[in-house]
Amino acid sequence: MPERMAERAVAIHVGGVHVARGPGVVRTLLGSCIAACLFEPTSRVGGMNHFLLPRGAATAPDPARFGIHAMERLINRMMAYGADRGGIVAKLFGGGHVLATDESPNSVPIQNVRFIQEFMAIEDIPVVARDLGGSHARLVVFETGTGKAYVRRLRPAAMPTLPRTERRIRRGDVARPKFGDVTMF
Amino acid sequence: MNRIALIVDDSPSMRAMVAHTLASAGFEVLQGEDGRQATAFLDGRHIDVVVTDLNMPVMDGIALIKHIRAQPGYRFTPVLMLTTESQETRKLEGKKAGATGWLVKPFNPEQLIAVVGKVVKQP
Repeated sequence: MPERMAERAVAIHVGGVHVARGPGVVRTLLGSCIAACLFEPTSRVGGMNHFLLPRGAATAPDPARFGIHAMERLINRMMAYGADRGGIVAKLFGGGHVLATDESPNSVPIQNVRFIQEFMAIEDIPVVARDLGGSHARLVVFETGTGKAYVRRLRPAAMPTLPRTERRIRRGDVARPKFGDVTMF
Repeated sequence: MNRIALIVDDSPSMRAMVAHTLASAGFEVLQGEDGRQATAFLDGRHIDVVVTDLNMPVMDGIALIKHIRAQPGYRFTPVLMLTTESQETRKLEGKKAGATGWLVKPFNPEQLIAVVGKVVKQP
């Protein structure tokens, strides 16, 4: 990964999305969260999001709707920049087990990975690269104008604040999901 | 007789989610993946409500609403926009086009059912 590239990249965090047409670099740091990097070659529009499926009574019975929302925000913004929805391809990252409690089959990382892979299949978006799961964090850097992605795997121990951040995110302290409002005319 | 909802969205996942919600409320659901596909259902059949996305290829939600309002048999059919967009300028655009309401995603299924229930004429 070119070091200078990561330094000058636009940084996004959980709940974030960044799209650009042509040259641009975006980066994010992932624990159990997912980052979808989408690219449409004809328009040279690319974008990245960063999300995780929330948990809790407020989101029952279907937390996937928030993942779908995160993906729709990214796709819609790419279309606004001129991307052809039918030409979009994806590179997927994240879903790392970075907390000691993460090993169950229905853990947050596993649900996140399952969601994004199922979503791509249902939406018929080809996944041309992926680095999902495992027990490490990831620094992901994505070039919006070329679709190139760079991943550096990081040991959680090398990032002492990551477990605390993960716990905050999962408690809903960060990017708490909420439903949209209604306007009647 | 079941009430009929026409759902329009270019995302199969979102269509499935909205369809499931409205089917659970007793609606028979028709689906279009963009505005142009949706217009094929405006063939004289009765439709109780249209729930449409805004940003779609081929024909977007605003163009679809204008088309619906131009059809004599559908001038008063309730049309709800269900979209990620929340800017007032976009809402105004929807209102001018003839939308009945504007719901911002992610949607609360109970709220969607309540709103649809309010705008659909009782048999």
